[in-house]
Amino acid sequence: MLSELSSFTRRLARFITNSGEAARTEPQVAPAETFAVLALDLFRLQYSLNVPYQALCRARGVRPDTIHDWRDIPAASTSAFKEFEFSCLPKDEQTGGFESSGTTRTVRSQTFHSAESLRVYEASLLPWFRRHLLPEIPRNPPAGQPGLAFLSLTPSRADAPRSSLVHMLDVVSRQGWFADALFAGQTDEDRGWILELDRIHAWLHGVIQKRSPVLLAGTAFNFVHLLDALQVRNLKLRLPAGSRIMETGGYKGRSRELTREALHAGLARRLSVPPEYIVTEYGMTELGSQAYDHVAGESPVDRALRFPPWARALVVSPETGTEVPEGQAGLVRILDLANAFSVLAVETEDLALRREHGLELVGRHLESEPRGCSLMAV
Amino acid sequence: MKSLLNLPQCYLADLPEEAEHTPALVTEAWLAVQRNRERHLAPMGTDVVIRVVAGAAQLWLEADSPFMRAALEFGPQELGFSRQTLEAGLRELFGSLTAPQLEAWIEQDLGHPRRLDEFCASAVERGSRRRSRAVGPRTLAHVTAGNIPASAVLSLTAGLLVRSAQFVKCATARSLIPRLYAHSIREVSTPLASCLELAEWPGKREDLLLALIDPAECVTATGTDAAVAAVRQHVPVNKRFVGHGHKVSLAYVAKEDLTAGSLPQLIEALAGDVCAWDQLGCLSPHVIYVEAGGAIGAERVAAGLAEALARMEETYPRGPLPEKQAANIRSRRSLYEIRAAHSEETRLWQSPASTAWTVVYESNPRFQTSCLNRFIYVKDVADLEAALQGADDVRGRVSTVALAASGARAPELARGLADWGVHRICPVGAMQKPPVLWRHDGRPALGELVRWTDLEEP
Repeated sequence: MLSELSSFTRRLARFITNSGEAARTEPQVAPAETFAVLALDLFRLQYSLNVPYQALCRARGVRPDTIHDWRDIPAASTSAFKEFEFSCLPKDEQTGGFESSGTTRTVRSQTFHSAESLRVYEASLLPWFRRHLLPEIPRNPPAGQPGLAFLSLTPSRADAPRSSLVHMLDVVSRQGWFADALFAGQTDEDRGWILELDRIHAWLHGVIQKRSPVLLAGTAFNFVHLLDALQVRNLKLRLPAGSRIMETGGYKGRSRELTREALHAGLARRLSVPPEYIVTEYGMTELGSQAYDHVAGESPVDRALRFPPWARALVVSPETGTEVPEGQAGLVRILDLANAFSVLAVETEDLALRREHGLELVGRHLESEPRGCSLMAV
Repeated sequence: MKSLLNLPQCYLADLPEEAEHTPALVTEAWLAVQRNRERHLAPMGTDVVIRVVAGAAQLWLEADSPFMRAALEFGPQELGFSRQTLEAGLRELFGSLTAPQLEAWIEQDLGHPRRLDEFCASAVERGSRRRSRAVGPRTLAHVTAGNIPASAVLSLTAGLLVRSAQFVKCATARSLIPRLYAHSIREVSTPLASCLELAEWPGKREDLLLALIDPAECVTATGTDAAVAAVRQHVPVNKRFVGHGHKVSLAYVAKEDLTAGSLPQLIEALAGDVCAWDQLGCLSPHVIYVEAGGAIGAERVAAGLAEALARMEETYPRGPLPEKQAANIRSRRSLYEIRAAHSEETRLWQSPASTAWTVVYESNPRFQTSCLNRFIYVKDVADLEAALQGADDVRGRVSTVALAASGARAPELARGLADWGVHRICPVGAMQKPPVLWRHDGRPALGELVRWTDLEEP
């Protein structure tokens, strides 16, 4: 069965390549192999290879032969990743994995990876990232024109080896797209991420002098820390034209919370990056694919988050579990073919409005995890 | 919504939602109720006040009561309860406000039925040649919680009995029932109702809160610990402050009471406790502990409870939930679903295609705070000691324990619960039906408000 999963990943790779090409040339072209076919095939494989997932399906009275629509594929909740190993990989093939963020006191979600599953992860990550953050990437910058620089406000992979976001940015930084790259965050003793501000300041100063546009990536709270530090020092940096920002991942109590508009306005003011060059990313440890709200440099139409063609997002009613009509709110459920080696259908604890072409998040990280000593609000 | 109600504009809370509130407006309202109190309420006898309160409560219970009708017409949308659940809760609440109960409340808390009218003496006081009189605060401000309407109604009632001019700041969008209660009092006695003011304004209006607190001799606050602390920090030390922070409740079923014969009745009673006010009150159970070793196990109790909750949904449906709360239930269910798929130590029963009710059986005795709205844990436990150990995280915060026990075990278990710090022990099925004279958080509600004057005889 595991070899069938390997052959599935080859089909998936072709699907990704084809849909990438289709997206670039003729967005309406339906690929020969459809998402629906791949999803149902993958479900069948995961049902037999992923033990806790099979138990979940059985508890719901679902077998592969009872599912005919990809929308009906049973979803595992993100909270279940905290207690169960949702993996199709035998123990001896697991070479590592990721953990969701959180303090030393919280239980974290876990995912498991092998060299092969990481290849799938990267195959999914790179084209969709590039399409949204580097649409006009100057592969070979004309002579005399400086190349793009990359600054991640997260810690480096050496410092945060279990973070899927750090892994993602690390992979991005090693594609030969950037003339220079820096990971300028550190982890503190409570697993929090902090910034090396002097280093960031000096590095940004350098790229400004070289007139090298920069891609700045980090979590929303990373950026709030940066903005606060710049404010304390009364600094405004004029990043070179073409500079862009990818922000992701909410606040998690790590900083004061800003609305997206306020965060983007602050970034525009302090770093001279206009809002159309600020891209919001939505991803999580439990997913192999990511969603973005628009293409850097284009003016955002609705800032709805969009997944790539090999992942589909549903917004489901928390009451009934069925898809809500457009404009209504519900829980985000994602079916992600890049989760080939774990569970393709994942129901998050994030609330979003269903938009015509994507999602608009309205609340992240509900407090569903039961805790004995934390009392509910009355 | 408010204007649809068509009530005369007697209180700030009767104004349309868009009405602007200012500290000057609050101060002015305070002056009016203080004046009216001196003129009408201060000289009023206890018997008259009790007659008015009991009369107003009676107005809610009459056939075709306009107050009940208005509450049931607008309440479901404003407060989020189904009509049936709201009606059952309100009937229970106003049914408890009878003249004999109100008299008993005064006698219980203050030791003599005429205590608020004149110097009088209990047997002990007579023995020490003293007579005493209790006097309520001239001005009493309340900041009330919005989870269920009962606490605001009871706070107002206590303030009337001790003859205070009162100003109630209702939780946002939760003024309907307290307002209707004030109007029902007005129906019986306009002068007495003129000593009340009710308002609602969005939280975080510190200027209004300060204007509310400033003239008050005593301030009460109910709500989350954070909400109570937010009020308390503005109350100067020379004023009395009565705070009721967040509490949780649970049920305990002794093994002797678990027989095939008693099971149906027990389960109906427990289902009633879970469904009353949709489990949103501090007296509603989060966890039902079932003692092991009886003829019936916890799992069977849980299964029976699930069936009973499904039946209750037909007759007393749960109110509709905002997405976030429904999502909380859905997410939490999914966690127990997968645990249940892997181990017999967890089982889950849930309403199909809705979040209306959920029963989680766990063998793990650790107390879990429920996400409420009819989400109940049933847990196996060896004995009371194990249950209390499991609930150690919430020790000091447990208000009510519904105890299903009989014979010699009942007093033994009650003693154990009292020693551990439980404030109220009641039969199953009565958790949200405390008598009006119950001691809220273990303290005498009227006793908390008054000050005493002792008169020693020569």
